[in-house]
Amino acid sequence: MSGFAVFAGKEAREILRTWRIWVLPGILLFFALTGPVLAKFTPQLLGALAGDQLKGLVIPTPTYLDAYAQWVKNLSQIALFALIIIYGSIISSERKSGTAVLVLTKPVSRTAFVIAKAAVHSAFLVILVVAGTLLTWGLTAAVFGQAPGSALWASALVWLVFGVLFIALMTLLSVLIGSAAGAAGAGLGAYALVSIAAIWKPLGTYSPAALATQPASLAAGKDVAVLWPVLTSLLLTVVLVAVAALAFRRKDL
Amino acid sequence: MSAAIRTTGLTKVYGTKRALDSVDLVVEEGSIFGFLGPNGAGKTTTLRVLTGLARPTSGSVQILGHDVASAGNPVRAQIGVLPDVPGFYEWMTAEEFLRFAGGLFGIGRRVLDERLGVLLDLAGLSDVDTKIGGYSRGMKQRLGVAQALVNAPRLLLLDEPTSALDPMGRKDVLDMLTSLRGRTTVFFSTHILADVERVCDTVAILDRGRVVARAPIDELKARYGQQKVVVEVTGGADELTEQIGRQAWVTSVSRGSNGSIEITVTDVGAAQREIPAMIAAGQVGLSRMEAGEMGLEEVFVELVGGVQQ
Repeated sequence: MSGFAVFAGKEAREILRTWRIWVLPGILLFFALTGPVLAKFTPQLLGALAGDQLKGLVIPTPTYLDAYAQWVKNLSQIALFALIIIYGSIISSERKSGTAVLVLTKPVSRTAFVIAKAAVHSAFLVILVVAGTLLTWGLTAAVFGQAPGSALWASALVWLVFGVLFIALMTLLSVLIGSAAGAAGAGLGAYALVSIAAIWKPLGTYSPAALATQPASLAAGKDVAVLWPVLTSLLLTVVLVAVAALAFRRKDL
Repeated sequence: MSAAIRTTGLTKVYGTKRALDSVDLVVEEGSIFGFLGPNGAGKTTTLRVLTGLARPTSGSVQILGHDVASAGNPVRAQIGVLPDVPGFYEWMTAEEFLRFAGGLFGIGRRVLDERLGVLLDLAGLSDVDTKIGGYSRGMKQRLGVAQALVNAPRLLLLDEPTSALDPMGRKDVLDMLTSLRGRTTVFFSTHILADVERVCDTVAILDRGRVVARAPIDELKARYGQQKVVVEVTGGADELTEQIGRQAWVTSVSRGSNGSIEITVTDVGAAQREIPAMIAAGQVGLSRMEAGEMGLEEVFVELVGGVQQ
């Protein structure tokens, strides 16, 4: 086995044997389990909490699309913020603890080190989002009696491209910024910029910024052209990891 | 004999601080090379540059005949490295870490199984199955030495390998280094002079980023180590100290903590003839007179301007 494969294997085992197996999976599991139920019973909950105050207001009967919207909204906000914070130290934690030194003085290149980390954690996110979406799909079918898959899967998979893009971004920021909190702050700032940039039509149509809003539209069953944003996001993901690897090669450890 | 390490004009600058200043080093293959220096002298920086973890500001570094800047996996595969404070994945056990390290070198399962037993034994961790997160600093240091040996390296680079060890652990590591003589080139930095005197055949002394001496230990002592004479008398020590200090063959004279007179001399024969004569002339008794070579510690203190470790 090559140094890359052995290091990637270590990274995967580290996920399974440390806090990483609990935090992001726990957050996604919670939303997958509660989303469809909350969507179904929101009108009753609102009615019970508000009493007579909402007497004149007619709340539409929830449908399976509300459960999908709930799942994608949670992915786009809390899951993405958690991802940004968790991966603020994806590279810097190994520099700080000294483990990078022991690995990189063996036959593992710095490029392999960076790519292995980005690849393994992207694969981890894919597994989590697919599992969470499956759970949401199944629960939605159970709670609402019907759950056509296309809107849910289209929105979740498009968001997944956005999530992987942010893993690549955090990999780069964690190379450039030694402090985990500093990198996470920069990552949140980047998210805010992307959300604002999506307002400008060309960026909101063709660039990765479109993926900040498109998953919600897809979950609502709307027809949205996602090809260009997905392609530019995948390209940017590759560029970010490549720049991270180049920057890491130039760093003194 | 070819050089395992060769640095020419190696300089490393951090901001305004010159951590290494034109360091020229040649470490012959097969030697055990001690790299001595007080804290902050630049030993760890040198190791970081030698291992490719840091880039030199100027100068060149060759490891096993390859320029370190372009040395890739084939060169790293022949090197074992122990940093000053080794960092481990704390969720692994010692055996898991050694298997992981061996895997990075592409060592086959059967060979690795054989080496693991020996290395875990060397590290005193054969019966320890807890995770590394619960280890003491000494245990981590011993595991650090073991992982540096997992690939049976041609060149072993160790940064302060004995600093966190108890006397038994220190002895084991030094014995292991001695056993590698002639087979593996060992380059180790330390500030423990006794370790260097015990196992090294060649030594370089670094002070404030500069190599102030580099030679085989015996040659270094002969070059810098003047003879030292210690005298104890029954009385009149102050007058005798003053009288000795006026002699041409005396470099320095001082009073020891137990009232003895400590003299460094350029001509030990003259000292051995004339000091007893002075004592006899002063009509005091001679309790003790010893003449001998200065140790590495005294050479070190002399070269680095009295900086004590």
